[in-house]
Amino acid sequence: MHSSISNVRLAGLAVSTGSLTRDFMADGLALGHDRVMLERTAQTIGLRQRKVAAPGITALDLCEDAARRLLDAAGLDPSSIDAVIFVTQTPDHSQPNNASLLHGRLGLATGAAAFDLSLGCSGWVYGLQQAALLCAHGGAARVLLCAGDTLSRLTHAKDRATDPLFGDAGSAALIERTGMAAAWHFELGADGAGANAIIVPQGGARMPHDSKPLTEIPDLDGNVRHAANLAMQGGEVFNFSLRQAPPAVAAVMRHAHYTVEATDGLILHQANRFVVTTVGRKCGFPAEKTPSDVVEHYGNQSSASIPCALIHAFTEPLSARSLRLVLCGFGVGWSWGAVAAEFGPLVIAPIQPYPHSA
Amino acid sequence: MTSAEKLQALQHDVDFFVGATEHTPLATLPNWGSLTVLLIILHCETQHGVVISSAEIHGCKTVGDLLKLLPERL
Repeated sequence: MHSSISNVRLAGLAVSTGSLTRDFMADGLALGHDRVMLERTAQTIGLRQRKVAAPGITALDLCEDAARRLLDAAGLDPSSIDAVIFVTQTPDHSQPNNASLLHGRLGLATGAAAFDLSLGCSGWVYGLQQAALLCAHGGAARVLLCAGDTLSRLTHAKDRATDPLFGDAGSAALIERTGMAAAWHFELGADGAGANAIIVPQGGARMPHDSKPLTEIPDLDGNVRHAANLAMQGGEVFNFSLRQAPPAVAAVMRHAHYTVEATDGLILHQANRFVVTTVGRKCGFPAEKTPSDVVEHYGNQSSASIPCALIHAFTEPLSARSLRLVLCGFGVGWSWGAVAAEFGPLVIAPIQPYPHSA
Repeated sequence: MTSAEKLQALQHDVDFFVGATEHTPLATLPNWGSLTVLLIILHCETQHGVVISSAEIHGCKTVGDLLKLLPERL
């Protein structure tokens, strides 16, 4: 699905990460894995360390911290926000939604709308499109888009296909209506037939958490998990990413009349360096325009990975001027979203762990 | 492209296959696992232009079985 939305701007970005550092090599050696293989995996996939949330800290907490720091940096009062969108797959509760909880914590006006989007790695682009629509056509002047997850809580320590990958983070972005601005060009899609390739089977309405005991089962590669853990068919997800992300990127670039040469950067969902570099190459972008090292510092941050990559790689230029960027997220639900747009100058609050160190 | 040439190309991209023959069981390759599967998928996509699934790879018993996937898809 294509959409072009005019007269909106990205006004600010912030990301808060988990405060605990997990080291890929140390964790793997503690589980008895071969050092040479670990080093090979670290080098190929791009795994070094990741930031996970401290006990008791949720995506809501991380996003609240990012939102507060962003509002402070921008000098804005929470009452100026007309809507809050919360993208997460790890909400505090099945009810109420995280957006309403954040609405209450920040003290937003009672007239401000609040809703969640249940999406992961594609979610930031989906959320950006919804925020832009609210500003362009929905009566909002300023929308707070929060996106984050604590996926590290869903993995099994003995599942090497998932556990070493994920970090926890929350992001906040401000999207505003503006007088004259070039259109943002979006491409959103999904292939629901493959949605089970990334799944937490137990814990929802289909298979309630107490419906059966959590039995640990090894897979063909020797990874262990139970039904309430995140299960990911890595090979299928990789194929899906190679199949769907490049056409989406090409489509938004075509609509925006962008060339690779005239585009300042391609920011892909930071699944891992292996995926980012492969997809980036298939999109025709040189490595220097495709940041791929976020995972090595923070882990795969689900819907927060694109804003984190924007801050990690582009803080200086984005703070000072406008950049032509193409963003693309892809993942859970076999969904994808891409956008080509000019972003900046904008307010950026630096990437910080939460809780803050003394 | 003969099987020997395909194996040579695979060994070039995925060094876990160095020393293997068509008769080598995949399960006996050093460090056989999810990383190797990803590297095989990438090799097939970039060198042969074919997409193979991890299920197809797991369905192979030997290196030769894996190599047979390629001509069937070309």
